[in-house]
Amino acid sequence: MTKYLARRLGQSLLTVFLTISTVFVLVRLAPGDPAAAYAPPSATTADLERIRAQFGLDKPLVTQYGIFLRDLLNGDLGTSYSFHDSALSVVLDRMPYTITLSLAAIAVTVAVAVPLGVWMARHADTSRELGANVLTITGQSMPDFWTGVMLLTVFAVLLPVLPASGFTSWSGLVLPTVTIAILQLALVSRLVRREMTTALASPYITVARSRGVSERALTWRYALANSSVPLVTAVGTRFAALLNGVVLVEVVFGWPGVGSLVVRALETRDYPLIQATVLVTATLAILVQLLVDLAYPLLDPRVRLGKAA
Amino acid sequence: MTRTPPSETPSRRTLLRWGAAGGAGLALSPLAACAGPTGAPGPGTLTLGLNRSLVSLDNKLNQFDAAVTVQRAVRQALTAIGPDMRLTRVLADRFEMTAPTTWSVRLRDGIRYSDGRPVTVDDVATAVRLYGEVAGSFILGLFPELPEVEATGERTFLLHTREPVPILDRLMANILITPAKDNRPEELRSGVGTGPYQVAGANSGAGEYTLARVPDYWGGRPPVEQVRVRFVPEESSRVVALRSGELDVIDTITPDSAEQLTGLPGVHLEQTAGVRICQLFYNFRKPRGHPLADARVRRALTYAIDGESLVRDVLTDSAEQARGVVPLSLQGAERTGSYTYDPSRARQLLRSLGADGLRIKIIWESGEFAADASVMEAVAEMLKDVGVRAALQQFEPGGDILKWRQGKGGDWDVIGNGFPGTTGQATTMLQAMYAGTAEDERTGDAFMGYVIPAIARQLSDAATETDPATRDRKLAAAQHAVWDTWPAMWAFVPKTVLARRARVDGVRLLPINSYDLTAVRLEG
Amino acid sequence: MSATLTPSASSARSSAVTARHLARATATRQRRSARFKLWAGALCTALVALPVALASLLPLPDPDAQNLAGRRVPPLTDGHLFGTDQLGRDLLSRILHGGQVSLTVGILAVVVSGLIGIAAGSAAGYFGGWIDTVVSRLLEAQMALPLLMMLLLVVALFGPSVTVITCVIAIAQWPEVARLTRSLVLVEREKPYVAAARLLGMRSWSVLGRHVIPNVLRPASLVVLLLLAQAVLLESALSFLGAGPQRPFATWGRIISDGQDYITTSWWLVTLPGLVIALLVVGVNLMGDGLRDRIRTTKTTKPAKGA
Repeated sequence: MTKYLARRLGQSLLTVFLTISTVFVLVRLAPGDPAAAYAPPSATTADLERIRAQFGLDKPLVTQYGIFLRDLLNGDLGTSYSFHDSALSVVLDRMPYTITLSLAAIAVTVAVAVPLGVWMARHADTSRELGANVLTITGQSMPDFWTGVMLLTVFAVLLPVLPASGFTSWSGLVLPTVTIAILQLALVSRLVRREMTTALASPYITVARSRGVSERALTWRYALANSSVPLVTAVGTRFAALLNGVVLVEVVFGWPGVGSLVVRALETRDYPLIQATVLVTATLAILVQLLVDLAYPLLDPRVRLGKAA
Repeated sequence: MTRTPPSETPSRRTLLRWGAAGGAGLALSPLAACAGPTGAPGPGTLTLGLNRSLVSLDNKLNQFDAAVTVQRAVRQALTAIGPDMRLTRVLADRFEMTAPTTWSVRLRDGIRYSDGRPVTVDDVATAVRLYGEVAGSFILGLFPELPEVEATGERTFLLHTREPVPILDRLMANILITPAKDNRPEELRSGVGTGPYQVAGANSGAGEYTLARVPDYWGGRPPVEQVRVRFVPEESSRVVALRSGELDVIDTITPDSAEQLTGLPGVHLEQTAGVRICQLFYNFRKPRGHPLADARVRRALTYAIDGESLVRDVLTDSAEQARGVVPLSLQGAERTGSYTYDPSRARQLLRSLGADGLRIKIIWESGEFAADASVMEAVAEMLKDVGVRAALQQFEPGGDILKWRQGKGGDWDVIGNGFPGTTGQATTMLQAMYAGTAEDERTGDAFMGYVIPAIARQLSDAATETDPATRDRKLAAAQHAVWDTWPAMWAFVPKTVLARRARVDGVRLLPINSYDLTAVRLEG
Repeated sequence: MSATLTPSASSARSSAVTARHLARATATRQRRSARFKLWAGALCTALVALPVALASLLPLPDPDAQNLAGRRVPPLTDGHLFGTDQLGRDLLSRILHGGQVSLTVGILAVVVSGLIGIAAGSAAGYFGGWIDTVVSRLLEAQMALPLLMMLLLVVALFGPSVTVITCVIAIAQWPEVARLTRSLVLVEREKPYVAAARLLGMRSWSVLGRHVIPNVLRPASLVVLLLLAQAVLLESALSFLGAGPQRPFATWGRIISDGQDYITTSWWLVTLPGLVIALLVVGVNLMGDGLRDRIRTTKTTKPAKGA
């Protein structure tokens, strides 16, 4: 177990390290100039050189990378050009908003998808299931930014019942959450449906049924409990993918999270901020994945870590 | 599937339950502090929705015109640009030119910062020095040179310059005064000022601020108790939020937003002539012999642009066609001519100059001015009608276009460019655009390669002229000379437009796109 | 998956199983629902893809032809079926011509990601060892990262051309193909014909290329439709965020993001292009789903997990 954990942690660290290094090189190779994006339009070439020197961009790439690594070891991700503040703390300030939105979206998705998936399993291969299936696929097929704009038009413009943007009250959470949930619904409900069908056909269900356990208890307590493992795995694995949707939805709804932050960091070529955003989100996604893997044996006693899984 | 030992079930269920509860707690806790009970602003709170993030309330590095309103509410300068571009004295009650290079200034009596400290001459001297020490300052570019401060008394001092800077009193409106002890050569993220408001809460990462009234502000108590500043990047969201009353004021709105908001109950629009000029500027680095190096060809192309229709249909009347080389609302601006639409004349002139079948490349950066992409697509279509094929290249923000502007990125013919008139003075803008020298051009620093020595001489001569009447005459002559070189295919001056809820009163929008928060009242 | 018995379809024999029973059997119902999805999917796809493909032949105004006097005309007026946009251009024509760019990018991206994915996945599955380690690690890493952020970065950094966008989407999608191919090759590798080919002295590259890959191509190609759906969505998301090909090229994402400024006055500018995207993607997704269901019912073996 400890050995497994050590190996997994090592792998995760390596992934994060390679990612951040790739991003480091990529942003510097690409066109665009932080000094030019930062300076006023009247800046002269000499001004720009002064700014570049101030940002440490006048040094060779290898030296910059060395400095970056040294600072990284000290937990310093540099100073954001546009915020004039530690890039890490700017990202961490925004992080709660993104996490809140992601968790709320996961909660809503699970709350709808699990009953729906169970219902679909109970009515497997009927036209009713087909209908539900087509409906969720439709949800999955709509561009999420478009769904967002549409919801915004209906609920903030036509019937102004919800705020259009930002986070000034909890009601501001509703539209972005629903937008993401619509996209995720198909995958999760289909997964629940599949696992439930397998579980409901298992011998232990037959045994329980023969002992007089009610159908209701069979579905919810026996079958669903055993389907929870793949469900947790799927939600954990999809966390990274979920963050994709979050970027777009944050932009549409002006949500002050890291998604809208990274769009802005790109516009200003704010290298430290881009690096910090990627580092923090990658770490988060990998951490969630790791936690899910570690939760495996706790959730399902049949699984032992370190063995072929 | 094997059976599950009964003892395992509860522990697993407990785990799941804990997980769910923990997740919910984790989800809600971090923001509980940030979220108010409702989204709508309270009766005594004014909520402003800015479309750019206000990183701090200092202006040493970040400067966009709409931020001035909020910055001035906390920190003030010696002077300010008031209505009709007139100078108003703020922290100084005397600001006079005593010799061409010397100004005598006296601080207003009894002015204190919001924490009770008095304002001293040293604060001014430190501020001027520190503005000069930051790299990449917008403000620094406005000053031909920074003045030296010489204290002559407790409240009086002299400002010295090497060359005459006749508009120094106006330029000093951009230097915000902070206690010398707390001032640094960087963007200040906290601290106090002399303004009517102080910062009660800030989340600068998200661009959100709460300002509270200073109880004993020297200029009298402002009517609005609290001001909330929010950062709402999406234009459509700002419009929706204003409609629903989430926001009270949105500034710098696009023509389309203005059109959508016109006539809505509870919403009022304020507009004034602007000080920004948006030009389709020609590339002045074309080799001799290239059609665009010929002023006659540049002029012929202007006839292809249906400016009236662009202003009416694309910019929905929220702009005016330029009638000079700088916006006419600037002090010292001169009306020099106007753009006319005559496609047949354009075709005929181009043919006679041997420039028919011309292909040009138009470049611009997204967001350079409102409706930029629509204007460019419309212009390309108009050029097609006179037989000129235009290729469009839109740059995403990121500083890449600067290389092109300096002639180091690639070849182009026309650039869409907006230029701000922050100081309210024509001379600042004229100097920046048309006074390029061969030496500037060696590093690509002349504005779009515009180097015409005679005009540069005329402009710098005017800029150091201390007699106002003579200065205006010299400036006017220079502007006519610039117009005759046909520097732009088309140009327009966007109006400054702001939308407010009906309950907000007393917003006196200035052409420099800001207003005095102390004059704003809330009704109801 | 259910282990249902598939009864032989001959209805002539005497049996307790009546035609009615057969019609209600799980397998029949599954087949029927798969067929429904296939047909409905094909219909939706054709409804969008055919007009897009034939856009230049249809009697439509030029997508760039402006009429500043007829700006933002609502649908079904003045011969504009979908109305006009902020410069008075025919919206239907722009959507169809824009669809050509979006669809081309989508199809190209699927081809490129398919090639990369099949090459990397089959090499990893067949050779194992360090190749497998490297490929698997890459797959894992990419699954764990918030990809859109990275893609946005790459497009923003290298400029939004059709080539860059195609490559970026291909990079986003190759893991899906690689994972599937790898698992298929792992199974295929152990089959006798591979051993036979080896014994006959064929080199491993040619065994892989001439025998193994052709055998996994069909099952692997199943994901193509699902990938195409994703690619179209991804392309529109990128151009929505400003990372689309140069103007005046219309792409679906850009039409929506341009129209977003007019949501309170001109609903059609955002609603209609979005509906068109959704219709196409629903169609492609339904077809993909139907195909997958059909394979599943005919095989009745539990396929590899794949979402």
